[in-house]
Amino acid sequence: MNKQAWIEYALSKGFESFEIYQSVSEEKRVAWFDHEMSSYVTSHVTGTSFRGIINGKMANTASEDVSDDKMEAVISAMIDQAANITSEDEVMIRKPAPAEETEYVQTWVRPSGAEIQELLKSLEEKILAKDPRIIQVTDLEWEEDTSRREITNSYGMKVEDGTKIQALVAGAAAMENGEVKNDFKVETVHDLAKFDADKFVNELADSVLSKLGAKGLPSGNYPVIFEKDAMTSLFSVFTGMFSGDLIGKGISPLRDKIGEKVFSELVTVMDDPRNQNAANLANYDDEGCPTKTKTLVDHGVFKMALHNTQSAMRMNTESTGNGFKPGYASPVGVHPMNCYIVPGDKSLDELCADMKEGYVITSLQGLHAGVDFVTTNFSLQSSGYYVKDGKRERSVTLVTVAANFLELMNKVVAVGNDLEWSYRSVTCPSIAFSECAVAGE
Amino acid sequence: MLEKNQLENYLTLCMKSSADFAEIYEEEEVTETISMLNGKTEDVNRILKTGIGVRLYKGVQSVYAYANESNPEVVLPLIEDLRDALGKEEKDGKVELTKTEYENRHPVKIDFETTPLEEKTDLLKRATDSAYEADERIVKVQARLLNVKQKVQISNSEGRLIDDTRVRTRIMVDAFAKEGDNFQSGGDRPGAGMGLEFYETVSPESVGKEAARIAIVNLSAKDCPSGKMPVIIDNAFGGVIFHEACGHALEASAVSKNQSVFCGKLGQKIASDCVSAVDDGTIPNAWGSENIDDEGNFQKRRVLIDHGVLKSYMIDRLNGRRMGMESTSSSRRESYKYEPTSRMSNTFILAGDSEFEELFEGIEKGLYAKKMGGGSVNPQTGEFNFAVQEGYLIENGKISYPVKGASLIGNGKDILWNIDRVCKNLERGQGMCGSSSGSIPTDVGQPAIRVTSITVGGTANE
Repeated sequence: MNKQAWIEYALSKGFESFEIYQSVSEEKRVAWFDHEMSSYVTSHVTGTSFRGIINGKMANTASEDVSDDKMEAVISAMIDQAANITSEDEVMIRKPAPAEETEYVQTWVRPSGAEIQELLKSLEEKILAKDPRIIQVTDLEWEEDTSRREITNSYGMKVEDGTKIQALVAGAAAMENGEVKNDFKVETVHDLAKFDADKFVNELADSVLSKLGAKGLPSGNYPVIFEKDAMTSLFSVFTGMFSGDLIGKGISPLRDKIGEKVFSELVTVMDDPRNQNAANLANYDDEGCPTKTKTLVDHGVFKMALHNTQSAMRMNTESTGNGFKPGYASPVGVHPMNCYIVPGDKSLDELCADMKEGYVITSLQGLHAGVDFVTTNFSLQSSGYYVKDGKRERSVTLVTVAANFLELMNKVVAVGNDLEWSYRSVTCPSIAFSECAVAGE
Repeated sequence: MLEKNQLENYLTLCMKSSADFAEIYEEEEVTETISMLNGKTEDVNRILKTGIGVRLYKGVQSVYAYANESNPEVVLPLIEDLRDALGKEEKDGKVELTKTEYENRHPVKIDFETTPLEEKTDLLKRATDSAYEADERIVKVQARLLNVKQKVQISNSEGRLIDDTRVRTRIMVDAFAKEGDNFQSGGDRPGAGMGLEFYETVSPESVGKEAARIAIVNLSAKDCPSGKMPVIIDNAFGGVIFHEACGHALEASAVSKNQSVFCGKLGQKIASDCVSAVDDGTIPNAWGSENIDDEGNFQKRRVLIDHGVLKSYMIDRLNGRRMGMESTSSSRRESYKYEPTSRMSNTFILAGDSEFEELFEGIEKGLYAKKMGGGSVNPQTGEFNFAVQEGYLIENGKISYPVKGASLIGNGKDILWNIDRVCKNLERGQGMCGSSSGSIPTDVGQPAIRVTSITVGGTANE
């Protein structure tokens, strides 16, 4: 497509400003099942979205067919869309702002197809050989995703960058006394030459085998530790509370709470799009606004919200460079980028020793449904293990944990030191809480 | 969409490899989303997605490539890549396609693409006004209208060429109620495989009113008790219990790999006598219906469970090969960006003979789950969960007070045995189901049922 021609045509039709966002993504997946390659997927997709302001209203559209002969139809539909917007919110397309760019120091070394197949084959063999109770390698997949994005607008902005990720996914099932349990593990792999397959296999096997013989717990209130993965999945569903868009609309549970203590003083939350430990970094958000490191919650006090251009204007402040969109076709929302709870100094073992007796939650299920974002009440299926005399006693499954997230975050006993990034853009260390309601037997 | 001879050339080339089957899936989808907050239109977003997916099989191996351009410069290298992956072979013979024509079971009366935008924003305005009018404690209303038109054309090396156009509409309203510091929400989101004529049968006003009613009930809800207890799950979206606890574990994607609690159970009793369930992709204009599945086979009504006995799995072509069984036309996918696999369509427990009031008889203490949220399941272990959106405590056979923050958990292979009453009032509810082939529209459904014992997870511990 001739982007300049699209922009000029839009301006000639009365648009005050116009933006073209284009992403090119490529994917490669190789799956292995039952001693052979079961599936191979490859793709190449270009997606384009347009935003334009006309008569003070913003129109949004996206298309996978942007040959220049579609120009007239797309622009005329956008004029119609803008004419039907009745919201009086001020809107803006950003002017280019020069910013210092951070170079990502991590590199990804792409393996050959033969190397990938050899890896999957040997992993399957190693997992199955690990323990006679392991009955199946349920999932084994190599994934590579590469994407590039380019933001061009009528103010002369041209921002271009790319991301890449390579990851290995493996799952296994184990059986004992007729009972089947399974688990899976995901790990980013920058360079296969440095990948420790034995460590990966051991961790997966340990995690699956530890689930065997798991039982429920009597219902009651227990001291709990949300282990890092479970804490990350719980925290991830509530990061929307920092969204300036939802705060401005009065839907976020943190509306009207800036400057107030909302979490325990042991909790500090950062959003750092340029974090070198994360899988990817971004110098600009999806509106071309430069990103920066921010402290959202400082020792329990809510310091600042995340903003894109529009939510910032609504609240008379500046964008924080968090105008991201989940896919090229989605409207620009407000999203965290490399957001984390700052780790403390105790290991998970030390947290367990200090707790003496209680429930360690290693996995949560049903996060898309069992959470009420507005009240922050949640009730979720969980599994993990019970700690007695400071040590792991037995595995636990099929019990719910339920609480109000804001209340829970004020019951923090200690924050662990085991923060891990891997493929995540939101991450937490393990956190110990004084109590949480558990329902089981 | 590509012409017949172009498809024949591509498919013929695909088969010049060790593949024993090749398929081309083409798609064009227009999605329109209109968002309104407190009666003001905030956003109108239109998305056009168009692409092609090419798939080759060799036994139970599958290779798949997709792109959003279908010209030879893009498609030929993808086909080369797939042939390389399976191994190239020179073979004679040309694929010849014959177009299959049929009568559309899901006709549309009012096309959203030709309807002026102001008529569509008016639907949202009516829903919003109705939510505000329902109660003065309603302080905020979010409403969204989703319209989708998906055209697909599927061709394969067996000579099949067939197309389908699927039109869907859905209105989603969230109402927010405030009383002092107590801030609660409620939502309702009905939809159908219809055009805008859907709103002549389900009025936007009724949707706004229902969202407001749930938000107001939640204002007075108390913490839900926890532990094992009898639970009455009401009709319509309550059917998510069957969808999670049983449906996913009957999909061939789990069964063919021996990753389901229901493997090897065909013809066996897996549920109590009062449970019969179907997956029916043929219901005219239902949310989860379509004329053909995403492998080009005509949709069907599948009896899954008949009076407790397992009658059928839901099977796609590839997993059917692993199982040595025929496809049940259950192959679905979100878009060309996914390989299709076995999925549900409109899945529900059939009506029984109990009256609604009879379900409460003999319950000293239990939970009445009037509206359910979503859930999830691990098909291999059978462990499932789902959330209660609107629930009430039952005391001494009567509804006592509303409760909040409850979820239900259990094991699919046990729960179907614990259903002891099935009511007459069958209804379906609409949802989006996420799995390996993406997010697809599915109906869940059931009449009100009683489960004798299930773990309820709440925050109130006595």
